[in-house]
Amino acid sequence: MARRSSRKRWLSGLRNTAAALIGLAWLVPLLWMFLSSVSNDADVYRVPPKLWPAWNWGNYARAWAARPWPRYFANTLIIALSVVAFTLVTSILAGFAFALMRFRGSKTLFYVVMSVMMVPQTVLLIPNFILAHTTGLYDTYWIQILPWAASVFGIFLLRQTLSALPTEIFEAAELDGAGPVSMLVRIAAPLAVPSLILIGLNTFMGSWSSFVWPYLMTQNDTVRPIEVGLQAFYGAEGTDWTGLSAAVTFTTLPVVILFFSLQKYFVQGAFSTQGAVQ
Amino acid sequence: MAQLLDPVATRSRSMRSGRPVKRALTSRWAYLFVLPALLVFLVFSIGPTIFAFALSLFNWNYLNAAMSKFVGLKNYVDLVKGTRDPSFWSTMWTSAQFVIPMVVGGTVISLLLALLLSGNSPVLYGVRTAVFLAHVTPFVGVSIVWVWLFNPRYGLVNAATALFGMAPRDWLGDPKTAMFAIVVFSLWHEVGFTLIIFLGGLTTLDKTLSEAAQIDRANKLQEIWYVILPQLRPYTIFVIVISTVFSLQAFTQFFVMTGGGPGFSTATLGFAVYQQAFIYRKTGYAAALAVVLFALTAVLSLLQLRASRNTGR
Amino acid sequence: MTRNPIRGLATLLVAGSMVLLSACSGSTAGSTPSASALPSLDPSKQTTITFMEAMSSGAQQAALKKMTADFEAQHPNVTVQLQEQPNYGALQTKITAQVAANSAPTIAQVYENWADELSSSNVIVPLDEYVASSKDYKDFYSGIQADMKLRDGKNWMWPFNKSVVVQYYNESLVPKAPATWGEFAQTAKSVSKNGVVALSIDPGSETSPAGGTALFEILAESFGTPVFAKDGTPQFDSDAAKKALNYLVDLKKSNALALGTNYPGQTALGNQTGAFDVSSVASYPFNQKAVGGKFVMGVAPLPAGTAKTANQLAGTNIAMFSSADDQQKAAAWAYMQFLTSPAEMAYWASQTGYLPVVKTAMDEQAMKDYLAKNPWVGDVVKQLDTATPLPPVSYVNKASGALSTAISSAVNGTASVDDALAQAQAAGKKAASES
Repeated sequence: MARRSSRKRWLSGLRNTAAALIGLAWLVPLLWMFLSSVSNDADVYRVPPKLWPAWNWGNYARAWAARPWPRYFANTLIIALSVVAFTLVTSILAGFAFALMRFRGSKTLFYVVMSVMMVPQTVLLIPNFILAHTTGLYDTYWIQILPWAASVFGIFLLRQTLSALPTEIFEAAELDGAGPVSMLVRIAAPLAVPSLILIGLNTFMGSWSSFVWPYLMTQNDTVRPIEVGLQAFYGAEGTDWTGLSAAVTFTTLPVVILFFSLQKYFVQGAFSTQGAVQ
Repeated sequence: MAQLLDPVATRSRSMRSGRPVKRALTSRWAYLFVLPALLVFLVFSIGPTIFAFALSLFNWNYLNAAMSKFVGLKNYVDLVKGTRDPSFWSTMWTSAQFVIPMVVGGTVISLLLALLLSGNSPVLYGVRTAVFLAHVTPFVGVSIVWVWLFNPRYGLVNAATALFGMAPRDWLGDPKTAMFAIVVFSLWHEVGFTLIIFLGGLTTLDKTLSEAAQIDRANKLQEIWYVILPQLRPYTIFVIVISTVFSLQAFTQFFVMTGGGPGFSTATLGFAVYQQAFIYRKTGYAAALAVVLFALTAVLSLLQLRASRNTGR
Repeated sequence: MTRNPIRGLATLLVAGSMVLLSACSGSTAGSTPSASALPSLDPSKQTTITFMEAMSSGAQQAALKKMTADFEAQHPNVTVQLQEQPNYGALQTKITAQVAANSAPTIAQVYENWADELSSSNVIVPLDEYVASSKDYKDFYSGIQADMKLRDGKNWMWPFNKSVVVQYYNESLVPKAPATWGEFAQTAKSVSKNGVVALSIDPGSETSPAGGTALFEILAESFGTPVFAKDGTPQFDSDAAKKALNYLVDLKKSNALALGTNYPGQTALGNQTGAFDVSSVASYPFNQKAVGGKFVMGVAPLPAGTAKTANQLAGTNIAMFSSADDQQKAAAWAYMQFLTSPAEMAYWASQTGYLPVVKTAMDEQAMKDYLAKNPWVGDVVKQLDTATPLPPVSYVNKASGALSTAISSAVNGTASVDDALAQAQAAGKKAASES
């Protein structure tokens, strides 16, 4: 018995060590980015590289002054939060209908929705560019929000979550005279909160990271998001490696902070969504 | 058939009462509920896709639409014959060199990581966080970081390989290694997402089956192979579908890191559409490529779903 | 600002069908630009023009903003909106996308090959009449005058930021600039030790060939055969081209050449891991900054080849879009002339390192001061009469892109020089035939 448990402890130690090494390897690029951002210019060109930086925070000041970053940040937030709000509403509505309601053509419509997932974004760039211009949406927040106001992933996930709910609770609600709207708001939505959180976070991250769309659909810094601003900075100052690292760091940091503060919900959301299966 | 689209719903069938449900839920409200999402898709995805189909039948003058010529299927003929540069078939081969490692590598790595990292110890928790963190970092920023890591003269990758006595390489500038480098970066970025899905799957495992296996003195490998993997099948299929779709449509890393080069060695189908349309302005031909990309994505997804029906009872 | 999605859909369908209809109706190539008289500027009317440009960094950005503000001060009713793009690749993408969506800027920076494409789609206007009315045109360097024309012999562009290639070098490693490419190779090899690789270049990519490809093209011409014949036919597999590529491969083998991205020559020169940077004169302020007083940076004209001293005229011109109305065209024309007036060109050149396109700029005080500090500019500016641009044909970018690939694979040892160039030649020919 004692031998078995000591072997077990040894094994778990081995497992933890292997895991820790992998985790460290995964973090190296991000660590390296940060270290470069506080290095002196000459040090990042050393071969072999100098690992300990000179803590030169001037790189941040230089990078920060080069572009209208506060504007980019504000734009990104406005766009991402709007996309999240729209997506949650459209997803729970459609997800509820597809999971629990019976209506003619529901299967066909669901296939239509699913097929949208198979449309590569690149196919849409040219026609939507023309659309954006003819509707006057070009170079506005709206062209960065409306096309993403519904999500196949969101509808799919909510349909999955909601169809796993026992039908008895809806039958009970019906006896109380509840209509579909109140069922959705009072029963389905609260039960789907973990999925909603997952969708919300996913959508937020997706919107924050989106690049090619806003890059082609906008013109002015007044509406451009952070990633496009970062690419512009890279295009213009590609040789200023330490400044670039600083810019990458401070544009990535908000996402990292958000991730750490909401991570519990994220993992919970992911787990309970999948867990709804059982 | 609709249920086959998601294996998870299939498994929950036992929970359904089976008889027709609730009058309140059989209502016109349903159309109102699906309308907002459908409108968004119609205006910004489905309509434009049809428009793109139409474009593919033209020798489209991107700069002056009035000067476009209807050419019927010529763009598709060029495509099949491979007469454009780069030829369609070399683009397909390039795509395979990205998609296959991404799907196979991504699935295997995230599955192995999930098996290694599922558990309650703080170390495992921290490592899960680290891997997932990479996934949430925005693409443009970390692509730039990796361009620097792969720098032929000052990059960390060459510094690391030098420890093993390897000569420095121009990872992103050499047609032999550019795709490999991008795959490494993309796996680093994407595995976090599929890992979470597998970890979610692992929490749904039927504990009694594993206990039974242990009573039967099955070793850990046997338990994984015969007990855990079959239970994870729906998740595996989901991961395969999602990584196929993602990698077929990947764009930003190519845009930032190589611009599709050197040569066309990293111009996958998804990137080639952009390249032909926005760089070379062969809009009609680009639209034909886009139609192929669309068809390919659709066929692969449907094939995999069919596979899931056949194997998953 | 609420937008009705149904209206959006309707508009999409209408727009889509309109575009298709107009495409089918066959009202194609015939629509010739009407030969109108020169529009004149009504100074009492408020006018806004847009200038799409890529002067997004450092001194270039600041100088263009200042010149534009000065122009607006002189023309109080004219507003010039600068639509800045991060680099030329983005600029080209943006121009074509805007044109396709019927919202072209008034004017934009363009390369010769872009102008070829834009003109054959009837979206920019020929400038012959404008040029005839210019008082500074006669003082343009002859290379500049030639560069304003496309193959049809018409002037389609107005010059703006023009440059040639020079060699920058670290004087503590290289006391005297080599005068021939043979000397250059010798010097490069001898200084490449202790972590120094003499020269780093960026061949660019298939879609956007960069300075390294330009260097190769110059070398080929220096050794006897330019990479494009007079009529634009690619001749990438000439003996001179092979000699040029072997030259680079040989440097690489001697560890005197490295490939990189994002101005690697500037980076390496600046951090003392390189001895040379072969780059445009417009790199001067950037290189100065990268060097930052760590050593003395020398600048000299390019070395001579076995056949001639070749150089490439680079940088962009300005084109005017046909969608602009007469008032805008008149305002834009006033602005374009303002930019190339001797005083402004002198300021521009002294701030950015670009070469003044008009000879009389050399007599301006700003230019004299600049020359006193940078005597090498005097020699280099003369090359504006001899340097040749890449041929103004739409496929030149794609063909040069094939060369950049040949350079990457030959220098990295993935393909032999002959194979790499044969492949590039085939791709170049194909690009020419597809255009």
